[in-house]
Amino acid sequence: MPTSKQFLWLVALAALTAYVAIYARSLASAPIRSDGYSYYVYLPAWFIHHDPTLQAVPDDCCGGSFPAFTSIVRWPGTKQWVDPHPIGVAILTLPLFALAQLLTWWTNLPPDGFSLYYQHAAGLSGLAAFLLGLWFLRRLLARWFRDGVVLATLATITLGTNLFHYGTFDSAFSHAFSFALIAALLDVTDRWWREPDWIASLQLAVVAALLFLVRHPNIVYLIAVPLWNPSGVWARRTTLLRIAAVSALCVSPQLLIYYRATGHWFVSVYGQLGRFDFRSPRLAAVLFGTQKGLFFWSPALLLAVAGFFISDPLALRVRTAALLCFAFTAYVIASWSDWQFGGSFGHRGFTDSLAIAAVFIAGLFHWTAPRPRARLAVGAAAAAACVLTCAQMVQYWTGVLPIADTTWTQYRELFLRFR
Amino acid sequence: MRRILHALALITLAGGAWYLYDPPWVAGVTSGLRDWEEDPPGTRFRWTNGHGSFYVPSDVGELTLPMRAVFASSDGKPVRVALSVDGRWLTNIDLLNPAEWTYPRVPLPRRTSRRRYRRIDVRVSRVTGFYNLGVELGEAQFPQ
Repeated sequence: MPTSKQFLWLVALAALTAYVAIYARSLASAPIRSDGYSYYVYLPAWFIHHDPTLQAVPDDCCGGSFPAFTSIVRWPGTKQWVDPHPIGVAILTLPLFALAQLLTWWTNLPPDGFSLYYQHAAGLSGLAAFLLGLWFLRRLLARWFRDGVVLATLATITLGTNLFHYGTFDSAFSHAFSFALIAALLDVTDRWWREPDWIASLQLAVVAALLFLVRHPNIVYLIAVPLWNPSGVWARRTTLLRIAAVSALCVSPQLLIYYRATGHWFVSVYGQLGRFDFRSPRLAAVLFGTQKGLFFWSPALLLAVAGFFISDPLALRVRTAALLCFAFTAYVIASWSDWQFGGSFGHRGFTDSLAIAAVFIAGLFHWTAPRPRARLAVGAAAAAACVLTCAQMVQYWTGVLPIADTTWTQYRELFLRFR
Repeated sequence: MRRILHALALITLAGGAWYLYDPPWVAGVTSGLRDWEEDPPGTRFRWTNGHGSFYVPSDVGELTLPMRAVFASSDGKPVRVALSVDGRWLTNIDLLNPAEWTYPRVPLPRRTSRRRYRRIDVRVSRVTGFYNLGVELGEAQFPQ
């Protein structure tokens, strides 16, 4: 058996192989597509066209207006473009974008922000975020569990959920980045509560800011910091306030962008893209439905539900925050008019928080370790769930499974069919 | 051992840079162009977006680039197509009749690098529809 560290290298190799296969065999169009476009579009606007208003991008590509699929809208009062997706993914894509810019000039490719090198800079940034998230997760779990438990947990969360899909096939979306940041938040929070040195404090501030900048609702995950050790919060209130101040400074460019475009410091254009109905959330469909049900498409996450009830020391630190975040996320998603989140493999609204689920899965594996029968049953269930999810992921990639609205009849007819 | 690894890394980097300066696959690179389609009479074409790019051999001195607007501009003006080579503006072409193919002949200036292919950029003054369509581009013709 490999160690958990070796497993990360194997995942990296598998993810790169899958990424090359996806684009070499044209299983997906270019990486910057759908939501990935509006997360990325800041980079060509800022660094190629030197235009913070974004207008130069549609002027160059699209006759002056962003295509409808981007969901980038003109603010009614100011007529300025407002992107529904914030700048965090673009910031995290910047290192590979800079390399793409250099290579584009060197090879004389179109310097439009969307030609070959730019496309794969965006795609590979998401892949790197996915791997970095696993690295943070391993580092956290390795402080609390023996390596066998860490290995089994990483394998289950990578292969038994849609995480691998969002690290490869749809890697330019925000989910791999959010996953990495939530994994980093848990890891840094654990270290900060052990030793609140200035490096850990600064890391916490930057991770908190990036979480907000990648996806604003991610801010809810920050309650994991105080709830990790509620009785110690008062003693560290000054440091926490400093962390909050640094985070606020880091998110200020996003607020400035909003203010410049709309005259308001914080806006959401989601109201123009759909609607919330908080009185009748479709919770059963979101969690168990055939269309996009979280546990239907990632049954391995039922292990996290079982692990939630085990009093493991790490799980105890995360439990309250996990419950609140999960309830908030599920309720908000289930109340949104497009509760399936468009075309996706499994429900991508929960992919961001898979590092939290991993904590409970690890707790369950740890609990079963000295219990041979339970270990066999849980191990078999985890393995079966991983095989099923991987098979269905391949079905999704090859167009066998529909991208949305899957019915039970369709699911049964297509079950484990690859043509 | 470390010196050997550093030397190998440097050689790989230099080799990669040399290869990527003028890679043969650039001939097939496009950006902002949809897949080839065929008109009923057998004319092959592909739609541009607002900005499309493709490559021609660098020894080409003159280019004929068939194009058709299909859809008129909403302001009633002719659809204007700006052509450039390797980032340098060449000429503007006004498509007066959207339904007709136009066959502009464009002399290309002397090349300034030793690359095997030159990039042609096509910028269209308007796009139309959900698919962000610019103009139909036929196959570029040039004397071999």
